[in-house]
Amino acid sequence: MALELINVHKHYPTRMGRKIILHGACGRIARGEKVGILGRNGSGKSTLVRMLGGVEAPTKGLINRTMTISWPIGMAAGFSGQLSGADNARLIARLYGRDIQKITEFVADFSELGDYFRMPMMTYSSGMRSRLALAVSLAVDFDCYLVDEALAVGDTRFGRAFAEKIEKSGLILVSHSPALVRRLCTRAAVLDQGILTFYDDLDEALATYNAL
Amino acid sequence: MSFREEVALTLRGARMQRRVIGALIIRELHSRFGQHYFGYIWLFFEPLLLGSAIGLLHYLSDHSAIFGPFEFFAAGYILYFIYRGILNRATIAIRSNLHLLYHRTVTLPDIFFARHLIETISCIGVMFVFMFALFVVNGVMVEDPTKIILAFIGMALLTQGLALMAAAATEAMEGVERAVHAFTYLTLPICGMFFLVEWLPESLQELALYVPMVHLFELMRDGQFGSRFQAHYDIGYVAAWILVTHLLGLAALRITRQRLGLE
Repeated sequence: MALELINVHKHYPTRMGRKIILHGACGRIARGEKVGILGRNGSGKSTLVRMLGGVEAPTKGLINRTMTISWPIGMAAGFSGQLSGADNARLIARLYGRDIQKITEFVADFSELGDYFRMPMMTYSSGMRSRLALAVSLAVDFDCYLVDEALAVGDTRFGRAFAEKIEKSGLILVSHSPALVRRLCTRAAVLDQGILTFYDDLDEALATYNAL
Repeated sequence: MSFREEVALTLRGARMQRRVIGALIIRELHSRFGQHYFGYIWLFFEPLLLGSAIGLLHYLSDHSAIFGPFEFFAAGYILYFIYRGILNRATIAIRSNLHLLYHRTVTLPDIFFARHLIETISCIGVMFVFMFALFVVNGVMVEDPTKIILAFIGMALLTQGLALMAAAATEAMEGVERAVHAFTYLTLPICGMFFLVEWLPESLQELALYVPMVHLFELMRDGQFGSRFQAHYDIGYVAAWILVTHLLGLAALRITRQRLGLE
C-alpha cells in the first residue's frame, strides 16, 4: 500500500510561455510514512498537493494510489458555502460511502461549532471553517492525510487529536515552514524549480531547503 | 486483467457512481433551495405556472384552428422547460461546483447527471399534475401517457448531450455562456413548441424534421391527442442525436477536466 510517482510532469500554459511545475518526479510514499514536502512560495506546492490527491491530472506520467488518501485538506477546500456544516459532513459521508450518522455525530462533537453546525458555512469564521474541515477529514478515516500548510495544527485540542490520528496513519504535509515539517514528519522532499527531490534524512532535506 | 476482474471493477465503479450521484442530488436540492420547503415547491411550480400562463395566453387569443390550445401550449412549454432549464444551467455548472472536485470520486459528468435527474423528474411530475388537473376539470384523458413520458425522457437525454458539450465549450472559450442563452431562445420558434409538422407546407416539413426537438414535440402530442392529427417523428433519429452529442460531450469534458485548475 503506497502512493507512487512515476515520471510525473506538470506544466501550465501561460502568456509568458510554459510554466513548469514538475519535471519528471519519481518517488514512493509507503503507508504510515510521514513525509514533508518543502517548497518556497510559488514553487507549485499546492498544485503538487492536488495532483497527489488525484484532483488535478499530471500533464505526463503516472500517480499510482494503492492506499486511501484524503482530499487535500487546506483552509476549507472541498466544502460548499451555501450548505451548513452538518450538510457538508453528510455530503462527504455519502461521497465516501461512510456511515452518515456516525460521521455527523463525530463532527458535531469534535468541531465544537454549537449552533453554527446547522448554519451555512459562508457564515463561518476562517477558524470555524478549518475546524469543520479537519473534523470531517478525521471522521472519514484515511490511510494517509494530505495536508496543505494553511492548517494551523498548533498545541490545541485539535492539534493534539490530529497528531494522534496521523501517528496511526500517514501524512503528507506540504509546507514552506521547516519547523512544522520537523515536528510532524520523519522524512522530507524539496520542490524547487520543477525538481522534486526526496531525502531519507530529514536534516539533509531541511538543510537543502534552507540553502535555497 | 481477466474478464471477470474487469466486470467486477466496472460494477464497483458503477456502484460508486450511483452513490456519488445520489449524494449530489441531495446536495443540489439543499444548496439550490436552502432548507426551506418553498424551494421544493418552486421547483415544481415554476414550469407549471409558466406553462399554464402561456397556455392561457394562447387560449385567450383564440386559435380556432388548434384543438385544445391550452393543453397544446401549456404541455409544450413544460417540455420546452426541460430543454431551457438544463441547457442554460449547463454553462455555470462547472464553476459553481468546482469545490466538489476536491473529492476524487466526483467526476464532471456526475455533476450534470445529478442536476438533470432532478430537472427531469420534476418536469415529469409537473406534467402528471397537469394531466390530472385537466382530467378533473375537463374530463378529457390524454390518449397515451407512455408516449408523453418517453418524449420527456428523450428531451432530457438530448438536452443532456447538448449540455455536456455546452459546458465544455464554456470552459474552453469566453462568451460561449451568452451564446448558449441566446441559442435556447432563438431555437424556441423552430423547436416544435408552436407548431405541428402537418401544419407546415411540405417543403418546410422536411426541413423541420432535421431539428431533433421537433420529433419529441410530435411524440408528446401524439400521446396527448394522436388520433386527431398525423404525427411525424422518428425515434431512431433522436437516438442518433442523443448518442452523438453524448460521445462528443463526454469526450470534451474529459479534456476539460484535465485542464481545469482548481484554486
